[in-house]
Amino acid sequence: MLRVIEYTLFFLVVTVLQVFLFNNLNLGIYIHPLVYIAFIILLPMETLPVVVLGLGLLSGVIMDISTGSGGLYTITTVFTSFVRPYLLPLILGRDEVKEGGIPMPSRIGYGKFFRYAGIIVFLQCLIFFTFESLAFKYYYLTLLRILASSVVTVGLVFFTQMVLSGARDRSPSQTYQ
Amino acid sequence: MNRLIDFIRSIYVPLLFIVIEVVALNYYASSTSYTKAKLLTASNHVMGGFHRTLSDIGDYFGLRRENDMLLTELASLHNRLEELTQLLPREDTGFEYTHGGEYSFTVASVINNSVTRQENFITIDKGERDGVRINMALVTPDMKMVGYVLDCSENFSIAISVLNREFRTGGKIKGKDYFGSLFWDSTSPDYITLSEIPKYADIEPGDTIVSGYSSIFPPDVLVGTVEDIRMTQSNYYEARVKLDTPMTRLGKLFVVNYADIQERMMLEEGLFDAPEN
Repeated sequence: MLRVIEYTLFFLVVTVLQVFLFNNLNLGIYIHPLVYIAFIILLPMETLPVVVLGLGLLSGVIMDISTGSGGLYTITTVFTSFVRPYLLPLILGRDEVKEGGIPMPSRIGYGKFFRYAGIIVFLQCLIFFTFESLAFKYYYLTLLRILASSVVTVGLVFFTQMVLSGARDRSPSQTYQ
Repeated sequence: MNRLIDFIRSIYVPLLFIVIEVVALNYYASSTSYTKAKLLTASNHVMGGFHRTLSDIGDYFGLRRENDMLLTELASLHNRLEELTQLLPREDTGFEYTHGGEYSFTVASVINNSVTRQENFITIDKGERDGVRINMALVTPDMKMVGYVLDCSENFSIAISVLNREFRTGGKIKGKDYFGSLFWDSTSPDYITLSEIPKYADIEPGDTIVSGYSSIFPPDVLVGTVEDIRMTQSNYYEARVKLDTPMTRLGKLFVVNYADIQERMMLEEGLFDAPEN
């Protein structure tokens, strides 16, 4: 129950950050961080695929409504949420995923975390910016946008997970683990 | 039977995924700038207040810049007033400058503005209640092109930014009266393209581009300066224009009301009946 409240708050924080901060930050045309995906990345590994998909849909629809993107966020987030359960065992190993827990550096190590978050964020940016531009005339610029935004997003997801892990360290449930 | 249940259990997530993606793709494919603006207008009922608070905080830090701009604008208006007063008969003192009576201006604040997307929109804090209507132009206080209104709610309006792939308007080379079509090629927030300039046009880098032949923008709204010109395959010039508008730093804007827009649009769309003789 505590975990549900924790994740609900985390979801609200990343959504508000995305809508009110990162969508309004003018970091140049090539950098558009998609930080809200941190919520999907950091869901516990034991979460059922259908639940991840449902939460991806919810998060995508909320982002679409609040930014007027006509389905772009939904297409992207649902794709990432669908891929995640297949990607986790590939990067972390089947045994580690079975043990469960939150896929953050303190649990899986820095190397695996950056590989896992990097691939998810790259896929997210690839789909998002390709569908946004829907043109191959300037695809090299879209590629630049995908790469620059992926790097910045991974960095920001790393900081976001520090907030979540900080909150968990202070929560009483942590003493039992 | 168990096998069937197992089979369904093994494929229902991918199946669900495909169904959701098909619906989302279908919606995205059929959406236009107009439907996106509608969506934003709807969400502004809830989020407009938050955006306004954040923008108020941002405005506070931009006060010095705004103030400098207002002072410059005030000075140029004083100069213009002076020039015009000279032209008037001495006894006529109560005149009001309204750009020939066709255009009137109202001030609005930008509360949300994106520049990093391919389809960028601007939210302003004035809506239908303040007299803002669809197709009104947005310009900076020093008359530089920003965008035009796509949709209004009671208290807010969504405008299509110059930095939107679906933005289209007419442009003119100042002082030379050659016209072209202005649009954004989405490669940089600092540049816009003027295309379809006739090949006999006398255009060169450094020329100033202003609005022209538009049913939305008043004439001579500043767009930018020509940096680069090339000839297209269809024998037209295409100019890369450096935008003069500071699109990443928009604060206060003027919403321009063109009094005769309805009449002009009806005429252009051929809705007027032929005169009876």
